[in-house]
Amino acid sequence: MAFEEHITEFAGHPVIDWNAEESIQDPQGTMYRISLSYDEQEGTTPWTEKLRQFFGASKPKPMVRWADKFNLFLDTPNAHQVTGLVIGDWRLGDAQDSASVVESLVEARDRLPNLTAIFLGDLTREECEISWLEQCDVSPLLNAYPQLEHFCVRGATNLSFGQLQHQHLKTLIVQSGGLGASVIHEILTAQLPQLEHLELWLGIDDYGGDAKVPDLQPLLDGNLFPNLTYLGLRNSEIADGIAQALANAPVLNGIKTLDFSMGTLSDTGAQALLTSPLIPNLQKLDIHHHFCSEAVVQKFAHLGIEVDTSEPQEEETYNNESWRYVAVSE
Amino acid sequence: MSQSVNDPHFILIAPPDSNRVTLFQQALARLRQPAACVVSYLDLLAGRIKLSNIVRANSLLRIESPGQEFEIEKALLALGASVADTENFARITAQEADNLSFEKGRILWPRQWYLGFCEALRLIEQQLADCAGFQLMNAPQDIALMFDKPRCHTLLRNQQISVPRSLGIIRSFNELVERMQELRCFRVFVKLAHGSGASGVVAYQTNGRQQQATTTVEMVRHKGELRLYNSRRLRTYHDGREIAALIDELCRHNVQVEQWLPKAGFKQKTFDLRVVVIAGRVQHIVARLSRHPITNLHLLNERSEVEAIQQKMGNTAWQAAMDSCERVMRLFPRSFYAGIDLLIAADYRHHAVLEVNAFGDLLPGVLWQGQDTYAAEINAVLANQSPHIAVSTN
Repeated sequence: MAFEEHITEFAGHPVIDWNAEESIQDPQGTMYRISLSYDEQEGTTPWTEKLRQFFGASKPKPMVRWADKFNLFLDTPNAHQVTGLVIGDWRLGDAQDSASVVESLVEARDRLPNLTAIFLGDLTREECEISWLEQCDVSPLLNAYPQLEHFCVRGATNLSFGQLQHQHLKTLIVQSGGLGASVIHEILTAQLPQLEHLELWLGIDDYGGDAKVPDLQPLLDGNLFPNLTYLGLRNSEIADGIAQALANAPVLNGIKTLDFSMGTLSDTGAQALLTSPLIPNLQKLDIHHHFCSEAVVQKFAHLGIEVDTSEPQEEETYNNESWRYVAVSE
Repeated sequence: MSQSVNDPHFILIAPPDSNRVTLFQQALARLRQPAACVVSYLDLLAGRIKLSNIVRANSLLRIESPGQEFEIEKALLALGASVADTENFARITAQEADNLSFEKGRILWPRQWYLGFCEALRLIEQQLADCAGFQLMNAPQDIALMFDKPRCHTLLRNQQISVPRSLGIIRSFNELVERMQELRCFRVFVKLAHGSGASGVVAYQTNGRQQQATTTVEMVRHKGELRLYNSRRLRTYHDGREIAALIDELCRHNVQVEQWLPKAGFKQKTFDLRVVVIAGRVQHIVARLSRHPITNLHLLNERSEVEAIQQKMGNTAWQAAMDSCERVMRLFPRSFYAGIDLLIAADYRHHAVLEVNAFGDLLPGVLWQGQDTYAAEINAVLANQSPHIAVSTN
């Protein structure tokens, strides 16, 4: 799969697009997406105006920056009550990173006192390949919103969390085609006492996902996030190795849901999970998009817990080599 | 029911064995109309048949796609060999065209093919000049224009139809890279100027450090010559030299380069719409869903319900998109139908016209008001509903 559609829900609330001159009707119940359409991105600047005349395009229109649109949003009645924002395409055709967006959001901190949820980077593949999506150091953003509870970022290129300390964050999601070991290190050394949901899309080495099992060891030891109930190590090409390391890991004592989905889990990793004394204590195990054999899938049914074994995948063979693909990479 | 010589009757100019002919004959039979007389392109080009001997008063003439039949392709290439061109695109002699042997999917001198096809369309016009009282369902000059993507794009843009931005004349990969930087446009579609379907289409993107080209085209090096083949399997090239070789080769045959606008997603896929406009009105619509940037139907993509998409867009945005399609067809007043490829933007609000396909009405099994495209066209032309239909007064 890849992201082909914009998200329709985040942190339990529906997401709708906000456009200039529209009212904000449900600031507490709805998440508003602020995104530049290609129409807005394509407006004219003085030097593109020359090109416009050269190519004979239709009537000129002003180019809109993401920050301009965001400021219009902030000036709209009820904006100060908004609890959730989804940041869509902010780029102006260029491969511009998210630093300017983070800056705008930081500046708006006093105008959004109720903001508890931010999704940074709801771009589909038609807008930008996930591995090409350039992020930045997002710690100023998290610091600016100490009341934030849910944070999701898509794309791990140039992503950094700095030295993060956040007293209220409950949900942290990093969706990526390749999550670097250095970013994982930052997350695992962050002070997040309220964290309940940690979801890392590890991706593949070719796209920056260079973490190995030992990089995750501090997490597996189970002392980092005392309130953790959901652990997602998704979309990973080292899913088997992680499963083996995790099978007897103390972290399993606290969590209710283990999400291994979208990765390359095969019978090797599955056997480790099946024989783990801790897995049956979970409420749910999710391995959908996996490479396990039918026989092994059957065994999961006898674990006595809810297991999602949907979307079985087949290995692909090229030049006598077998390949297993994660769900999202590129 | 007896037929008199002056009753309306259809004449198809087409490869006789094509499924388009079969389906059109079936549609006629279902409507209790006599079978159409089929004029083979090869017979026409070889002078074995003259339209003036066939066309009568009340003849309804339909020019069909010459299709992918190799003998017709060779004949059109040979015909194009002697046509002067505006620029130095890749050419072969008539003799070389004649000596070509069939290779599945190979892209053969599409610019020269186009010159030959235009010549064939001119031949049709010439022969019809001596006939009277017939109707043409699609005018040869309109077909020629629709098959010329740069010219068609310019027409649409000048008429304020929403289209993706063109990058202008591009004759090499280096020129493409320069123009993309100049316009700060980092994602483009490179299309053969005269290709149909997904033939010779490349979705190219770069961010200055990385680049990739997703395409239906396979490159094969044969005795120092680079040959291009259309395939159903999408390939992604990352290597700059490979991408440059591919784009340079396509440029030798003339290309149209447009900004790659983000398409909307539906059911975890991306899509565009094929909208068939008949007698000035939007009729049959299918969504072409894809897991890849290239959505053409013959790539075995799924058809899907359009209603959900319509609902998601809302009435105003949907109506604006449909209006654009009908406005496009008003630019071709002598054409009774065409299939328009319509992009719905990722925000489900904006739209853009991607292509106007002269022969884009082949949508077997897709019904609108109980009729397939061919039946709708036959009924409409018989009822002479269209105010646009060209009636020869020669």
